[in-house]
Amino acid sequence: MASSAEQHHGGGHGHGQHAGMWVFPVREEITRDVAGKTFAMPSPYKLALGIAAILTILGVVGFFIRASSDGFGSPGPWGYYAGIFSFVFMVTGAAPLVAAAFRFTKSHWRRPLSRVAELFAMVGIVNIVLFIPLLLVMPPIKNPDVQGSDLEIRRTLWFEVPIGAPYTWDILCFVGLAFCSVMILWLSATPDMAQARATATGFRRSLYGALAGWWFGTKRQWNHHKAGLALLGAFYFMLLIFVQFIFITEFAMSMVPFWKDSVLPPMYTVMSFQTGLSLILIVMFIMRRWGGYENYIGKAPFWSASKILLGLTLLWTYHLFAFFITYWYGRLEVEQNILKYLFTQPYLVVFLGNMLFSFFIPFALLIWNPLRRSDWGPPLAGLVALVGSLLFNLRTFAAAFNTGNHFEFALSHVPAAVWPDIWDICIILGGLGIVALVYLLSAKLLPPMSIWEVKEGTLYQKMDKLMKGEYLVLAKPE
Amino acid sequence: MARRPILGVFDSANSAADAGDGLRRAGIPETDVDFLTDTPYPEGAFGEREEPHRLYIFPFIGALLGLTSGILLTSMTQVAYPMVTGGKPILSIPPMAVVCYEGTMLGAILFTVLGIIFESRLPKLKAGLYDTRITEGYIGVLVNTEETQHGDVEAAFGQAGAVDIKRE
Repeated sequence: MASSAEQHHGGGHGHGQHAGMWVFPVREEITRDVAGKTFAMPSPYKLALGIAAILTILGVVGFFIRASSDGFGSPGPWGYYAGIFSFVFMVTGAAPLVAAAFRFTKSHWRRPLSRVAELFAMVGIVNIVLFIPLLLVMPPIKNPDVQGSDLEIRRTLWFEVPIGAPYTWDILCFVGLAFCSVMILWLSATPDMAQARATATGFRRSLYGALAGWWFGTKRQWNHHKAGLALLGAFYFMLLIFVQFIFITEFAMSMVPFWKDSVLPPMYTVMSFQTGLSLILIVMFIMRRWGGYENYIGKAPFWSASKILLGLTLLWTYHLFAFFITYWYGRLEVEQNILKYLFTQPYLVVFLGNMLFSFFIPFALLIWNPLRRSDWGPPLAGLVALVGSLLFNLRTFAAAFNTGNHFEFALSHVPAAVWPDIWDICIILGGLGIVALVYLLSAKLLPPMSIWEVKEGTLYQKMDKLMKGEYLVLAKPE
Repeated sequence: MARRPILGVFDSANSAADAGDGLRRAGIPETDVDFLTDTPYPEGAFGEREEPHRLYIFPFIGALLGLTSGILLTSMTQVAYPMVTGGKPILSIPPMAVVCYEGTMLGAILFTVLGIIFESRLPKLKAGLYDTRITEGYIGVLVNTEETQHGDVEAAFGQAGAVDIKRE
């Protein structure tokens, strides 16, 4: 174990190209220090909170005006709402999984990002509320007015329409996912809340007492903690990809006549992994640069995560190409209109922007070693990927919700593009604002750094000399 | 005599491990001793007993219940409202898979959480013996034993270099 004297305050260890790569927080001070930072209200935080609140209010205004002017009778006017919801769900749904997945790998560099990722569980609760209007505008499965060659039953996942389909099963998906992620957050934060009780006051003290008063850190408790996190993490992964499959199939594919594509759900999932990791890197960069966490977040998490981000970026492009080439080369007449509609005609500009931001720019950034080793390079690539993902979601859902007749056998014509009006823009900004608002508030409620995990890391990592160089020595107890 | 807790506070993991050895020599059963730490230490770091758990049983039961509910619900719907879709049999597995999978997952998650609550014996209304220095990296050795043995426990703590000994 590195002694206190050997441990480093800021700046980080490593030399040459690895300068600042690793940090070694002083274990004895971590609980008090992180609790202090959690409870503090610096001006930049207040400013960010204010901006997020204003954006959220704009979104609420946009929502109510959209609802009062267009109602919930048809999906068309809600295309951009669906797009921003999908973006929020795609990105924030995948974020808690990042913590679980890297915890499975038992890597040490992931320690500072665990709680940053898990805190997005709180946004999952908001996702349930945001999802309800989509259920209201979703066209019924049974065609109420069959005309000509229209289908009697819309093509959906619910082939034989079991009891509760689609509404109950759809909402249960989101409730189950949010419940699982909040339980992961609770379980993971329990040791930290129990330890922070000593310095917490007022509401936080009561909250920590209620949620973590039972925790003393016995061996039995740590064993249950570890097993519980592993189980819930695995189930979260299994449920998340399922919910993403349900959502993209139900609210995008089923809305476009004859859109039958087995690549879209995995592409959506890969994009969610790419953007979830991107968002976490951005939050970590902000915390490191302006949040006072430079002693906890070295460059190593960015460096390590950047390679995964690069892989996910390539994987997304592979899926997109697989999707495109099947339709393009298949040359089925009924599929050509789908291809033209979503890619090459009315939404061509948005599609090109999506490609540029989701693949070309992040790829061009992440192939450079010096940039991958910096603390700003991977978050920059991540920010660009987020813009690409936003364009993907807005294009896909605005198009899917505005095909006109959802009961048509196949898309008989290429509908015109529907561009966002002022209220759509308000809704989009509101969607981004509410994520920021909920996250910022959550980061003041619970420590945004996984204290117990960072402390555990201090047991297993130290810098040591080998000949003339100083290197990171890692212990792997299991 | 009543069983009462006594807590030794140690400033290093080695001293806490020594205290564990001392308690064993004094004849204190291993089941009466707990090591309180601020972070998980590797298995056997204090020479402590293995702590088996049964948490894996809970999600298994939950998943089984969820799957059964899913199968019953979908098959009963299909039998009650027979509707031939795409020329497939009335009772076909692929369309049932969606609901069955969702039921399985929800059951597994719910029962995992119930398992955590049950295995942790929650809710705990009475606060136990603790020292806030444990949050700063100190190790607590908590012994829950007969009061007559507290003298032996204190001696073992003292020999191992406890920085503090607390009673309820």
